[in-house]
Amino acid sequence: MAADPIVQVRDLSKLYRQGDIDVTALNHVSVDIQPAEFVVLMGPSGSGKSTLLHIIAGIDRPTSGDVLVQGINVGNLSESDLATWRNQYVGFVFQSFNLIPVLTAAENVELPLLLTRLDRKSRKEQVQAALELVGLGDRLHHRPDQLSGGQQQRVAIARALVTDPVLIVADEPTGNLDAKSASDVLDILRSLSSRSGKTVIMVTHDPKAAGYGTRSLHLEKGEIVA
Amino acid sequence: MTVFGFILKNALRNTRRALLTISSVAVSSALLVSLMTLERELTVPPEAEGASLRIIARNKVSLMQPLPAKQLSAIQRIPGIVTVTPFTYFGGLYENEEFTSFAQFAVDPVPFQSIIVDGPVIDGSYEAWVKNRTGCLVGADTMKRYNLKVGDQMRFRGTFYPCDLDLKIEAVYQGTVDDRNIFFHHKLLDELTGDPGTVGTWYLRAESVEVADRVIQQVNDTFANTSAEVRAESERAFQMGFVSMWGNVSNLIRGVNLVVVFTLVLVAVSTMSMAVRERFRELAVLKALGFQRRDLFGFILAEGFGLSVIGGAVGIGGAWAFWTFSDIQQMTNGFLIVFEVTPRIVGMAAAVASVLGVVSSIGPAISVGRMSVVEGLKTLD
Repeated sequence: MAADPIVQVRDLSKLYRQGDIDVTALNHVSVDIQPAEFVVLMGPSGSGKSTLLHIIAGIDRPTSGDVLVQGINVGNLSESDLATWRNQYVGFVFQSFNLIPVLTAAENVELPLLLTRLDRKSRKEQVQAALELVGLGDRLHHRPDQLSGGQQQRVAIARALVTDPVLIVADEPTGNLDAKSASDVLDILRSLSSRSGKTVIMVTHDPKAAGYGTRSLHLEKGEIVA
Repeated sequence: MTVFGFILKNALRNTRRALLTISSVAVSSALLVSLMTLERELTVPPEAEGASLRIIARNKVSLMQPLPAKQLSAIQRIPGIVTVTPFTYFGGLYENEEFTSFAQFAVDPVPFQSIIVDGPVIDGSYEAWVKNRTGCLVGADTMKRYNLKVGDQMRFRGTFYPCDLDLKIEAVYQGTVDDRNIFFHHKLLDELTGDPGTVGTWYLRAESVEVADRVIQQVNDTFANTSAEVRAESERAFQMGFVSMWGNVSNLIRGVNLVVVFTLVLVAVSTMSMAVRERFRELAVLKALGFQRRDLFGFILAEGFGLSVIGGAVGIGGAWAFWTFSDIQQMTNGFLIVFEVTPRIVGMAAAVASVLGVVSSIGPAISVGRMSVVEGLKTLD
């Protein structure tokens, strides 16, 4: 018997207003995602895959429809509650890493933990563990400009998982990486799903990257077509 | 890492810009302190201990109009007056100077001794001056400035009066609010000017503060409806009469102060806007990680406030140190005798710097608060 879905997307629509024109980014999308799944969202530019990812992750609001993560209707949360929810439930990995350049790798990873009640020692231990998990236990005190692109993305993954969220969302995480680094990053994401039980949702254009997922969803014109 | 450490690293991420911002706030704060101090020195004359007892009576028409010397006996008969002396401004130029910043007054030395009680003689002898009709009593500041000693001669070219003065220094006083002035015998001035029977003003000392107002009224009444009506007033009121002449200068200084503050606001707002604008994406990422609007507002406010306060502290402290340890008399050629940066001025300048920090942060903080995570990520992608 299948477990309850960790993410339930129900009849989700998103309309943007560009000047005088309404643009439909998502058109009545519904989908369930099971725990520990590694779901890949694919599709051409403007198909709505990033919009779907953003709404599931709680950084964008739908025009209509619902997103439930572990039974919590994300769209019903206030701005403040949504921020707290993101901190506890979601880990983000972006295409361009988005590390703070003046902070070291360890400090970047520690950022989300500043919002928790953990003491300094516990934070340090969790940061160390997260960086070791992505193979950067010896790069704690390096700043982003002292790391390669692949290493920076691994720091970003460590930052995403340091709070032990149930959901990892990755928006084209290999878009700025060479093949070897991309392969390393995808291996880590797959491992997070298969070994650590995290649910991973990844947006990508790359069919090779899509091969790492357990399921692919293809979007076109705001609808899931396959 | 602590939140404070995070804010500090952000504030100093562009060291050159942070230093330039701190410098601009520091220079502007120093300018603000200096201008506020200048305005205070011009408009609030120093108050001497015995000022409330001293009364000056001048011609009611104008300070430039002399008074008849024969008024002396009538004034001496008014009850409550301890002493009275003629007090006439000579307005000479010392040696070959084009501008002389200290005044020379003709007085009657004997009654004058009861008036200049704030400034005891520190060198030479007051009695020697009383005895020597061509002698003078010189302030310690002037002695120091011109490297003079008792027994030296001082020569003044008359500008108001068609005569020159040759005076021998007989005594030196110190301790009044203005230790620059020189006093000499009124009789000498009378001789040199052909004894016209006039004085510039009368300088009186009342018995007590309680009778001072009555004495002033009585002096005015005594000469009412005569050909030389007088206007008697306390030394303080007389000084404030001079201060009122600075009215427009004071407004000008205040205007410049406002311009300084306004410019400072523009600089700080521009700096903070740039600093926030260039890391819009990072702030969007912080939002995505769970930081609330109030957290980001706090980061930006702390950064803007911190830079302004550091700049303010450097500027205000620097201005205080400079003016405290500088010889203002030498710098202004004797125009100003003191230039005191008071705690009130320091407090006002510090308040301006603090408010500036808050004001400069509000706009950028609001725009960050309004920004959605998706917009923030797109903006700089």
